[in-house]
Amino acid sequence: MKLIFKHILYVIIGIFSFQQCTDSTTKETYNGLVVSQEQRASWIRNFNPLTPGGSARWPTSAGIYEPLMIYNSMKGEYVPWLAVKHEWNMRNDVLKLVIRQDVSWSDGAPFSGKDVLFTFNLLKKIPAFDVRALWTYLESIKLLNEYEVEFKFSSIYVPGLDAIVGQTIVPEHIWSIIEDPVKFTNPNPVGTGPYTEILKFQKQVWELGKNPNYWQSGKPKVEKLTFPAFPTNVQATYALINGEVDWAGNFIPAIDRIFVDKNPDKHHYWFPRAGGSIFLYPNTTKKHFDNKAFRKAISYSIDRELITKVAMYDYTVPADITALSEGMSRWRENKKRKDSWNIFNREEALSILDSLEYSFSNKNSLTDKDNNEIFFEIIVVSGWSDWIRAAQIISRNLRDVGINASVRTYDFGAWFSKLQTGDFDLAIAWAEKGNTPYNLYRGLMSQKLVKPTGEISVLNWHRYGNAVIDDLCQRYEKTSNQSVIKDIIFDMQDIFIENLPAIPLFAEPSWGEYNTSRFTNFPDEHNPYAQLSPNNVPESLLILVELEPVK
Amino acid sequence: MSTSVQYLLKRLGIYAIAGWAAVTLNFFIPRMMPGDPVSVMFASFRGKLKPEAIEALKNTFGFTDEPLLNKYISYLSHLLNGELGISTAYFPERVSSIILSGLGWTLLLVGISLVVSFIIGSLIGMIIAWRRDGKLDSILPPSFSFISSFPYFFTAMLLLYFLGFKLGWFPIRHAYNSDLIPGFNIEFITSCLHHVFLPASTLIFMGIGGWMLQMRNNMIGTIATDYISFAKSKGLSQKRIMIWYAAKNAILPIVTSFGMAIGFILNGTILTEIIFSYPGQGYILFQAVQAQDFQLMQGIFLTITLSVLAANWIIDILVLILDPRTRK
Repeated sequence: MKLIFKHILYVIIGIFSFQQCTDSTTKETYNGLVVSQEQRASWIRNFNPLTPGGSARWPTSAGIYEPLMIYNSMKGEYVPWLAVKHEWNMRNDVLKLVIRQDVSWSDGAPFSGKDVLFTFNLLKKIPAFDVRALWTYLESIKLLNEYEVEFKFSSIYVPGLDAIVGQTIVPEHIWSIIEDPVKFTNPNPVGTGPYTEILKFQKQVWELGKNPNYWQSGKPKVEKLTFPAFPTNVQATYALINGEVDWAGNFIPAIDRIFVDKNPDKHHYWFPRAGGSIFLYPNTTKKHFDNKAFRKAISYSIDRELITKVAMYDYTVPADITALSEGMSRWRENKKRKDSWNIFNREEALSILDSLEYSFSNKNSLTDKDNNEIFFEIIVVSGWSDWIRAAQIISRNLRDVGINASVRTYDFGAWFSKLQTGDFDLAIAWAEKGNTPYNLYRGLMSQKLVKPTGEISVLNWHRYGNAVIDDLCQRYEKTSNQSVIKDIIFDMQDIFIENLPAIPLFAEPSWGEYNTSRFTNFPDEHNPYAQLSPNNVPESLLILVELEPVK
Repeated sequence: MSTSVQYLLKRLGIYAIAGWAAVTLNFFIPRMMPGDPVSVMFASFRGKLKPEAIEALKNTFGFTDEPLLNKYISYLSHLLNGELGISTAYFPERVSSIILSGLGWTLLLVGISLVVSFIIGSLIGMIIAWRRDGKLDSILPPSFSFISSFPYFFTAMLLLYFLGFKLGWFPIRHAYNSDLIPGFNIEFITSCLHHVFLPASTLIFMGIGGWMLQMRNNMIGTIATDYISFAKSKGLSQKRIMIWYAAKNAILPIVTSFGMAIGFILNGTILTEIIFSYPGQGYILFQAVQAQDFQLMQGIFLTITLSVLAANWIIDILVLILDPRTRK
């Protein structure tokens, strides 16, 4: 019997030592720039930039293909890309785009305004591709000449500019003969982007080589990109620590100790707060939460410093009273305000509750005028440990002012369905993002977006409506005058601060890590030419063309 | 023999009914989950996708508000034509091709771990029963019961961290070295074996205990029978009695439970595959559930159900061959 065990042992040692001879290490070495953006068990070959929902491989929509312009969130401006200039007419209902001239597709065919025209008409023909619902406000589009395209609007809607210039353009000479573009997986893409050649495509790894005809001469400097399949955050983190990944956008807990300390010269991260904020949403259709003073009392009682330190590993800062992160700070109106509900102040919270005729029963818990105890539930997604910890801190903070709030976790789908149908008391969630705070404030306060409880509401889950906001939105949508826009945003800001429809907790950092052993010129706080995170499409394209191999 | 054929056909009929029941549950249970694929996909963009995109997504996936019963009927008719539909999470890939891409690796992993744990477990069980009250008999059963009470992911994480990440003896992800081209050559096969070692070890560790205890108990039963005493008194060698007289009979009930074990081990594979990034069905199922991809979930549940039923039918045949008492 011992013999059998011995044989098994030999086989194991055999396999093991053979591998040790063939490759000296179990670490995989790739010779391209290794990017970890999508977490998948195995790769599916799909390079259709127009299918919604992220079923195409990263960086199909901004890398293989390109948009007309790219919004740089660090600089707060549009970077001309396939279009060099935009121009509104006097009434703001006709937009002219000037298309770049010296661009060709990766198969050598020239790129022109015809491709732009074709792409927008394809969106009109196939509503499934019209992710930004462009054709709800566009009337027609025509070519003025080969390099000038004119968009005519059916109703004035200036924010539509963002959707139009953000559109990824596909080649007419290839896509015009595709029978069913929705189900087209585009296995061998022809694009204008810096990387277009599929060098290898396997279930576990695929490689993307540079475009031989790229319009920015001398770029990209990196020969190819490599994408190994990492199904989970844990796997991606291990690979990053091991030095197998060059650029990633993962959440990593205690990153200084776990990642940077392993190789402080080469391992870097940068988590700029350019995105939105994370909010605690009070369901304003419910009793107590319908009162803005009560909402402010809750906000005063939350210790945001503790949340950012304990729940968010100090990666972020407490929310500003305008709910705008640093990346949006140019939109904050600096003036003396009577409210300061974003600062932790338990006495203030208690005195507001007192003035609202809430009182303490003998058990140290708060009761309302009718002597009912106050009890709430905070709903969070199960497994999202940072938010769960934040919710636990909030729950403790609320208990300190006598409010009994328990944390309940739900599976992602269940949580989102509760959120959308308004079936919650308090919930932690993100908010709408955009290039200006218009999207955020509209999403949080527009009366038009309020749906009855039980019906699915895509935005405004807390169901707060303010008619003044709708008027402001309408004015915003009709102007391209920057100083008017600024005044409108400031007005919206005042309404937000006065009414506190949703309670901002902390700014949402954008995760980005990189390893400079093999490649350099990543953006960081000293050279913030774009947001580092590869998750931030299409801004990530600005980085793709700047990266360089180490000499 | 004709009665045996009748028996097998009857079993086949029972499996067909079980299969239909499973298919029906596969259809209805995922749809009872709160939420729907489109809003889950929308939500995963965390505010970056504009609300208008929801309509576009619905258009893409062809969602309609048809009553559930109509959907069920069309699902059944598609199934009979071998049509599993299109995945939403991996749009526009066909469910059948996604499943095929992972099935081979899962079968390899399940096959290796099931066979190895069965062989090692039964061998140890046989030996410790033969020399019961020996040292091995007092150490192995409690220690393996202890190990097999760990959750799969815990053992997997331990192996991954120590043998893979810390010591670097084994790769911590994937099914083969990605610089190799899949093919039937020694380099590729050893790479596969090297990669399957840790995930398979997890499943083997967890499985051995069960087989060992079953075998030990059965062996003790058979050792007490008269024909063993008879064989002993005839002066046959100990080894011969242990293997050909005692173990051969003790193993019969275990073969039957082999069919059941396939179901359990598939359950363990899902977690193990996720942890080791093994490109099998497990992680695909995990993603399908997260994305509420009904088509893909149904497809994977279907392959699991069919493989368990098929395995049980094969076991029925095996038992007929192995055990003369079942043939009347």
